[in-house]
Amino acid sequence: MPMRRDRFDLMHGTLLFVCIAGLSVVLLTEWPRPAAAVAQGGERALERELQSQARATLLQRLYGPVEELRQQGKTANALLKLDELERTYPGEAHGLMLKGEILAGMGALEPAAASFAAGVRRNGDYIDEKFPLSRRAAVSRLVADGLPVIIEGTRRNPESRDLGLALKNLRYLQSRLAGGCE
Amino acid sequence: MTLLPLLRSDSAPGLAALVLCALLALAGCERAGDQPVMRIGYMNCNTEQETQARFLPLTRYLSDQTGIKFEAVPVNTEDFVERFSKGEFQFTHSNSFLYIILKEQQGLKLMAAEKRGRFGARTAGTIIARKGSGIETLADIRGKRMVFGPIMAPTGYLAQYDLMLRNGIDPEKDLAFYAIPSGSYKHEKLVYGLYYGQYDVAAAPALDLEVMAAEGKITPDDFVVLGQSPLVPYCTFGAAATVDVAVIAKVQQALLDLGPEAVAEVNGEELKVLKSAWIDGFEALLDSDYDPIRDMARRADMPPYQKY
Repeated sequence: MPMRRDRFDLMHGTLLFVCIAGLSVVLLTEWPRPAAAVAQGGERALERELQSQARATLLQRLYGPVEELRQQGKTANALLKLDELERTYPGEAHGLMLKGEILAGMGALEPAAASFAAGVRRNGDYIDEKFPLSRRAAVSRLVADGLPVIIEGTRRNPESRDLGLALKNLRYLQSRLAGGCE
Repeated sequence: MTLLPLLRSDSAPGLAALVLCALLALAGCERAGDQPVMRIGYMNCNTEQETQARFLPLTRYLSDQTGIKFEAVPVNTEDFVERFSKGEFQFTHSNSFLYIILKEQQGLKLMAAEKRGRFGARTAGTIIARKGSGIETLADIRGKRMVFGPIMAPTGYLAQYDLMLRNGIDPEKDLAFYAIPSGSYKHEKLVYGLYYGQYDVAAAPALDLEVMAAEGKITPDDFVVLGQSPLVPYCTFGAAATVDVAVIAKVQQALLDLGPEAVAEVNGEELKVLKSAWIDGFEALLDSDYDPIRDMARRADMPPYQKY
């Protein structure tokens, strides 16, 4: 007895046909990629690289005086200088990372964790070892040294919201260092 | 017993007694309907007017949140301990140095610390010099003219005094002289005094430098920070030991829950509570968090540990 075809069979068949047709079009146009498209992709990569290098150079120039003060041990001056830059470049990840580094050096763990976390959220490259402006070592140090202190702090003072927030920020940084997702 | 004999026309003293009883009863009813009034003593930073403007919205907010009627009492720093002892106010908003004095001497209970600036509920004292003055390190300040903030200021006087002692500099012997500006806005006056050459070195709170730089009043490049003290708690809310524990808990919760959007009505105007008070928020600290100030006061031989 011949099998009856209903409207669902017809719908499935049409859908299958549309999918096969779509895939064929994609394969025919994209593979093999035309030489022009490959060249265009290469150019884009070059542009990206150029942009990233120019950005790194500019940041180093802008924040150079802060770095210099920090290296001389003039951390309070460095923070004031950062404030000045913050007014022109608010929320810039490089400034946030530098601030985190200086605050951590002063023993201000909670604001340091907040600054690092904000910087990494803005630009995750800062914990990439290969990134020219990487601050991975400084973030690792804060997580390693700060986490036990903050955990002990929250145990002693569970009411403290700032300590709770610092713990959250440190856990976030820890997960980013480990390569976890946000 | 009937009151009718008192109403007789020939019983004037009786009538007067009746009227008096009625008045007393009415007054009693009004008092019973009234909420108890509690007072918060706010330490004046600059002027009484400024204190009222800053803290009236916060006082109203606390009344709204707790159902307790609060009144704001502006208090000069030097009168704070005495007026608190006399019971003029039950809650205190003062600097952290006054907190430890009242804690040690009168059992003041810690409620919350104020958050402001980059260090949150903590801040520091700095010693600064004019850039290019030739003073580059703390050791260079010997024999120089120095200006301090008010004597009861933890990060305008105590922290720097202690910092100098810990670096082998005796402020009483090793400076040409030191001065304290008079009147209000002392912290700003000493920064300008340094800037315009009246002094060589100044004891400036880190927070004031941060705020003055943010407001464009100073340029950080004009100054060198020669040293900075450890971080210590900032301004602090406290309650007298006699206040009911449940009331303290209510007020403390209201302070800790206070967010930037909270408003209070003052003179028909809705004002943002934190913004009016120049506060970022409140944080729950432990009394042991104030130990660094206690250590400073001991080393500097200052109250409440003064020996000579």
